[in-house]
Amino acid sequence: MEKVKLTAKDYKTQIPIVWCPGCGDFGVLAAIQQAVADLQIPPEKLGVVSGIGCSSRIPGYINAYGFNSIHGRPLPIATGAKVANPELTMLVAGGDGDGYSIGTNHFVHAIRRNPDLTYIVMDNRIYGLTKGQVSPTTPTGDVTKTTPSGNPERPLNPLALALELGATYIAQGFSGNVKHLKELIKKGIAHKGFALINVLSPCVTFRGKQEYDYVRDHGVYLEDTDHDPSDWNAAHEVTQWMLTKNQVPLGILYQVEGRKTLADEIAEVQERARAKKVYRDVRELIEQFR
Amino acid sequence: MQEVVLAIAGSGGDGVITAGDFITKSAARKGLYAFMLKSYGPQIRGGESSARIRVSAEPIYSQGDYVDVLAVFSWKDFKRFTDEIEVRENAVVLYDDADKTPLEAVPIPPEKKARFVGVPFKRLASEELKVPLAKNMVLLGVLARLLNLPIDALKDSVMQKFGRKRPEAAEVNIKAIDLGARWVEENLPEGIPYRLEAEGGEPKLVMTGNDALAFGAIHAGVKFYSGYPITPASPILEFLARELPRFGGAVIQTEDELAAAAMAIGASWAGARAMTASSGPGISLKQEAIGLAAMAEIPLVVVNVQRTGPSTGIPSKTEQADLFQAIGGTHGDAPRVVLAPADVEDNFQVAVEAFYLAEKYQLPVYILSDQFVAERSETVDEAVLFARERAIARKLPSEAELGEEYARYKLTEDGVSPMAVPGMKGGQHYISGLEHNEKGWPSSSGTLHQVMSEKRARKLPLIAEEAGFVRIYGDGDAELAVLAWGSSKGAVREAVERARKQGMKVKAIVPQLLFPVPARALDEALKGVERALVVELSFTAQFYRYLRAFYDGLPKETYSYARAGGNPLRVDEVLAAIAEHYGKKVEA
Repeated sequence: MEKVKLTAKDYKTQIPIVWCPGCGDFGVLAAIQQAVADLQIPPEKLGVVSGIGCSSRIPGYINAYGFNSIHGRPLPIATGAKVANPELTMLVAGGDGDGYSIGTNHFVHAIRRNPDLTYIVMDNRIYGLTKGQVSPTTPTGDVTKTTPSGNPERPLNPLALALELGATYIAQGFSGNVKHLKELIKKGIAHKGFALINVLSPCVTFRGKQEYDYVRDHGVYLEDTDHDPSDWNAAHEVTQWMLTKNQVPLGILYQVEGRKTLADEIAEVQERARAKKVYRDVRELIEQFR
Repeated sequence: MQEVVLAIAGSGGDGVITAGDFITKSAARKGLYAFMLKSYGPQIRGGESSARIRVSAEPIYSQGDYVDVLAVFSWKDFKRFTDEIEVRENAVVLYDDADKTPLEAVPIPPEKKARFVGVPFKRLASEELKVPLAKNMVLLGVLARLLNLPIDALKDSVMQKFGRKRPEAAEVNIKAIDLGARWVEENLPEGIPYRLEAEGGEPKLVMTGNDALAFGAIHAGVKFYSGYPITPASPILEFLARELPRFGGAVIQTEDELAAAAMAIGASWAGARAMTASSGPGISLKQEAIGLAAMAEIPLVVVNVQRTGPSTGIPSKTEQADLFQAIGGTHGDAPRVVLAPADVEDNFQVAVEAFYLAEKYQLPVYILSDQFVAERSETVDEAVLFARERAIARKLPSEAELGEEYARYKLTEDGVSPMAVPGMKGGQHYISGLEHNEKGWPSSSGTLHQVMSEKRARKLPLIAEEAGFVRIYGDGDAELAVLAWGSSKGAVREAVERARKQGMKVKAIVPQLLFPVPARALDEALKGVERALVVELSFTAQFYRYLRAFYDGLPKETYSYARAGGNPLRVDEVLAAIAEHYGKKVEA
């Protein structure tokens, strides 16, 4: 039987989409569906785990094994799933509140652990599902429902944080450029280890259409520059562009291959443990109690 | 004597626990029954520690209320344990004569009429062996000779521990044991009244409850474990970290308790048998994830090795006050199962049962262990461990059920729906913590919420009917029944035995399954019983109140004996409560 080629359509579901018209997440959804179709990942081998938030509804809209879990915890859930079944392609999705506020601890430790996951953060710089409160990436001074006199806090820089923590694939995309984002996702999936793709995915309802304009006006595609993604120091410079140059870097900021993944580490632990002792049967564990 | 209770107190470096372990191991080798309770001060190194060991020719279920023979390396260290170690009247107290505290000043009341014997533990070890650290082994020799403990088995245990790896240590330790024994022959030729006269039986195993639980989990096929260090649950994490990789499993020490619960859920969702463990404070943190497992119907085993609470409480001490949390924790009407191991070997079986129920019914299953039943060492019969077989399996969809129409939460008679696991072709679906329809699609319909709440709850009566979850000890025609759970079983069972010897018709009823209430089995057990007494280590009598609220079959006259934890229940306090409610005076 000839294999039928999978197309983006094969990754659609019947679940009604609840996002607002103009939401950036539509672009992310399209980019994911096109990326997995390009890579011909069978839907049953694809896992999509999310947390809570507007963007975390995304697993429902992808024909895969989808898990819309609890606030801030998609990374540990996906890590456990990937360890249990390493053959799955695991996408993790969520928003800036989910990943960079309530789930920050897991973000930090997922990078340290390096599971082979592709983490797509739809960063809209606002809490949308709860209708417009300040988020960890909201710019200083911005008025939101919970910062009526302007946001007094500095936004978190997820790219710099990931770089500092030793992430081996760090990219930034824009939901207004699906084609470009699709490539970042494909490369993230192909990357062995933890891949962070921060996607500027505007919330038109609570931050207005000008969010799109901001990225369009200030976005700089790294592939159009002489940026070398294997150069950590150069990547560090790029993570600061928003502050230093009022520019939004788009593309792969940093990528190195060859670091052991969590699966590699677990396999080595198993090997070392078995080198010390092998049991033919569970019941042999009893010997240590004699 | 058929049994002896001894206690050793000293500071961390004195080797108190090691000595206790050797006594317990050697008793097991000889086929005797042994029970050892460790206790520590809050310091990690160099603090006070005590070992309390009961050795008997007959089965024993508790730590023994009073200590027959006490050995003290330093009175200052012993002082910390006066709350826990009470000597019997006419007890024998061996103390290191290097400690010059006048005997009038030691914390043992004169009315105990204890016999004090100064022994040069430290001097013998330093001067004769030139190894001051071996004083605990000198003590072992003294105790073995005085109490008629199996000295050959003791030496075998030493050889087993040091023989191959550190032969010189083995030699010194064996010399130290001989030295202690000789000191008794030369200085106490008349011996002491506490001499164990017991023939041993078949050799037994020695394990802690935590190890038994972790072993049971491996036996049940656990393949993924995630946990965060916490007293007194860490030994489960340590055991599995050492052994599970040898069975192709994975152990991850997570960044926090939230991640530990979430990772186990992820692994289970992907098809692996998964478990996480903690103690009260960590279980509080896991609540949200446990609700997710209930809503998304994902098998999950959660161990709570209870310690004294609330909040940080007393981390190293036991209590049974997390029952309400287990049955009612996390928001919403979330179905779950609560199991409780009642002794060390029961930890093994309960682990197997937990996986059996979690996988069969696709819900979170708590194992409510506690510090007392988890950290103590006990002799265990090998045959008992594997006595109950369980076929552990998850209901998967058939070929016909897969495809476009596959419904993850299909309404079924038993509430259990076929669960497609990632990787299964045609089983793709979406799940969430949101209320959902049969296909998993989110819904805000109150009508659907009622339907799905009923679906999830349909499993519970079936679980309550599962056989073999209520243990009964004592008279078939008992007038009074003592209801207890978890580690209270030991003192209750012995108290019931003693009450029966005094002519009372009593029995103990110990459910291994707490939630859902195994009502039919309890009804059966309570048939003909006039009065019931609910015994527990919870200041607010959680078990008593739980039974009152969730079970209709209690006798009209049902009483409560409940106190705060910290110290485990003693047989005499339970016996006094039985006697009070039985309506007869106990003959002294």
